[in-house]
Amino acid sequence: MAVAMALLVPIGCGGDKPAASGGAVAQQGVATLGPRSDTLRNPDAGDQKSAAEGEKLFGSMNCDGCHGGGATGFAAPSLSDGRWRYGGTDGAIFQSIRDGRPKGMPAFGELLSPEIIWKLVTYLRSLPVPKTVPTQSW
Amino acid sequence: MQRTRLRGRTCTSPGKRVRLLVMRLLPALAALLALLQAAAAAQAVPDDGRWTMPGKDYASTRYSGLDQLTPLNVQRLKPVWSFSTGVLRGHEGQPLVVDNTMYVVTPYPNVLYAFDLTQPDYPLKWKYRPNVDPSALGMACCDAINRGAFYADGKIVYNLLDGHTVAVDAASGREIWNVKSAELSEGETTPMAPIVVRDRVIVGPSGGEFGIYGWAKGLDLATGRLVWTARNAGSDSATLTRPGVFKPFYDKGANLGLTTWANDAWKTGGAPVWGWLSYDAGLDLVYYGVGNPGPYNPEQRPGDNKWTNSVLARRPGDGALVWAYQFTPHDNWDYDSNAEMILADLTIGGGVRKVLVHFDKNGFAYTIDRTNGEVLVAEPFVSLNWAKRVDLTTGRPVLDSSKFTGDSKGNVKYICPSLEGGKSPVSAAAYSPRTRLFYVSTVNLCMDYHAEVKTRIRGTPFIGASTPYVAGPGGHMGAFIAWDAARGRKLWEIKEKYPVWSGVVVTAGDVAFYGTLDGWLKAVNARTGQPLWKFKVGSGIVGAPITYRGPDGRQYVAVYAGIGGDWSLLSGDLNADDPADMRDPADFIKDLARYTSQGGMVWIFAL
Repeated sequence: MAVAMALLVPIGCGGDKPAASGGAVAQQGVATLGPRSDTLRNPDAGDQKSAAEGEKLFGSMNCDGCHGGGATGFAAPSLSDGRWRYGGTDGAIFQSIRDGRPKGMPAFGELLSPEIIWKLVTYLRSLPVPKTVPTQSW
Repeated sequence: MQRTRLRGRTCTSPGKRVRLLVMRLLPALAALLALLQAAAAAQAVPDDGRWTMPGKDYASTRYSGLDQLTPLNVQRLKPVWSFSTGVLRGHEGQPLVVDNTMYVVTPYPNVLYAFDLTQPDYPLKWKYRPNVDPSALGMACCDAINRGAFYADGKIVYNLLDGHTVAVDAASGREIWNVKSAELSEGETTPMAPIVVRDRVIVGPSGGEFGIYGWAKGLDLATGRLVWTARNAGSDSATLTRPGVFKPFYDKGANLGLTTWANDAWKTGGAPVWGWLSYDAGLDLVYYGVGNPGPYNPEQRPGDNKWTNSVLARRPGDGALVWAYQFTPHDNWDYDSNAEMILADLTIGGGVRKVLVHFDKNGFAYTIDRTNGEVLVAEPFVSLNWAKRVDLTTGRPVLDSSKFTGDSKGNVKYICPSLEGGKSPVSAAAYSPRTRLFYVSTVNLCMDYHAEVKTRIRGTPFIGASTPYVAGPGGHMGAFIAWDAARGRKLWEIKEKYPVWSGVVVTAGDVAFYGTLDGWLKAVNARTGQPLWKFKVGSGIVGAPITYRGPDGRQYVAVYAGIGGDWSLLSGDLNADDPADMRDPADFIKDLARYTSQGGMVWIFAL
């Protein structure tokens, strides 16, 4: 969290430094820049403290603006339904956040350290996956 | 009821009663006569049967002089043609019909279709498929929609979602120019429909949810070259506000776009332009509404925050600001003012006034002198509780302090209307010079508002409020209404189960058409509100019906089906195209997905 706040301060809207290139997400999802997702290991896997910090980051990094409060989906897909466009392993989610995805998910790799991204991954993986609901009935 | 009232106001029957009335009501009758003459003059110009711009005409009336369809025969209206656009996003906006060709712009990826109305089956003449950046999907707040094109000088001019504006040859489909007009990396997208005045194309960005610094731009029609940029906030030089030219009725002073903000919050303060534009040729003024300030947490941006939630009147040639009026100073509720400004000449206070009529998200309907911005009438057209009234001497709303929001206020309960608006700016209203009534799709939702502090990170949402909705008083979530803007009165309404989110067209046959979220296109008697006809188009309607004369001389009605826009966010269980995105129904509208799903179609109807 301390790291996150340090990141956030210089690009705050009330600050005297408007968001510059270092304080912005990359516009477009790009090809993998780092290791392959199946070789990535979440150092915080299953850690509740990390998940709680990740939940705060989900709001402070404006993830909730697209994916909705509680990650239940808004302009962008739900991340709490146990279903994933680009893979639901810790490594695949890490990669989605770091590198972005082509249909609008920005790349946060230049803005967020790997430690911060793992906290977000740990939060999302901590969300209780509802029973699959293939039928919606009235 | 309304028909009786209108008949009672005519003066065509000579006799003692009329002479007495003349004696007693001479000024009012003189004004009425002038109005009738104006209406007759308007009707004397035969309708060309085309639909060349979003609002039908520069006054944005969405009124057609075609009169073949009437309350007596519209029951026989039948679908004659339909076409799948191949796109599932929200189909806002409307087709154009020019020279027996129908032009349809789809939501992202913004394909432009040209249908030959002279041939059986209306085959395509051509389709234009621009290269649109898919990362724009992540910068569009409220679905990847498009609100349509404008025809001018042989060109179809429209915006792509990713911040580009294009002009396409209407005959061949050849791209004439393609220019970048908005900055996607700042959160600017461009779903709005441009307006073209003489050789100027005027466009603006969405992005009130991304902390943009809003603007309007004037491009050259021949080349797309940028001619002027007018910011909606900031210094007078940025807003193109010049001494001697800027003559507002209420707010006087220099640099109002700076002094009404604290801490330079205007730099990321939103002020988008995503609605409809109007133009008065006599005054040479373009009118457009400006959207919300960002973030939604008002305590991060003390001050009036001009010119968010305002109407601006600019000269199209050089963009100079001539007057401005702010509907909702220091917005606490996301009450964008991007809704259309409908230009009409109405009798108010015994005289004919050049007015613009605007149905704001904040729930008030405004009748404003369009020469100078003076508010003549401001009355609620839906249930509202954030303000008591609008003070016409100051132009400001008289607020209810219990509905103030902000991060220090916690969760503020039951504010009406919701931030969807008493009327969505998406759903453009119509005005008939025959009935002198405005026909309006309205929304009856209220909200709680829980604001929190947000930090702007370029290219990510800058919102900061949680705002769950409930149905407003009465339990119905929408209504289609007829409004007398000279008096600020609702004449009749048709309650609807769901919010009414479509545009409107009204005709010289005194028939009005609108659509519903559960997928019905409906025709009603424009004088009485009597429902006359309906047809299920397969997906909810968030676009605007139009009417035109076909090459066979017959009157046609066209509309898009294709629910989306806010509804793809709010009621995510409507979506069926992504197996990796499963959502529960929205609490306030649990059963909408029982009646509709996504699906983009163009429908054409005729007798």
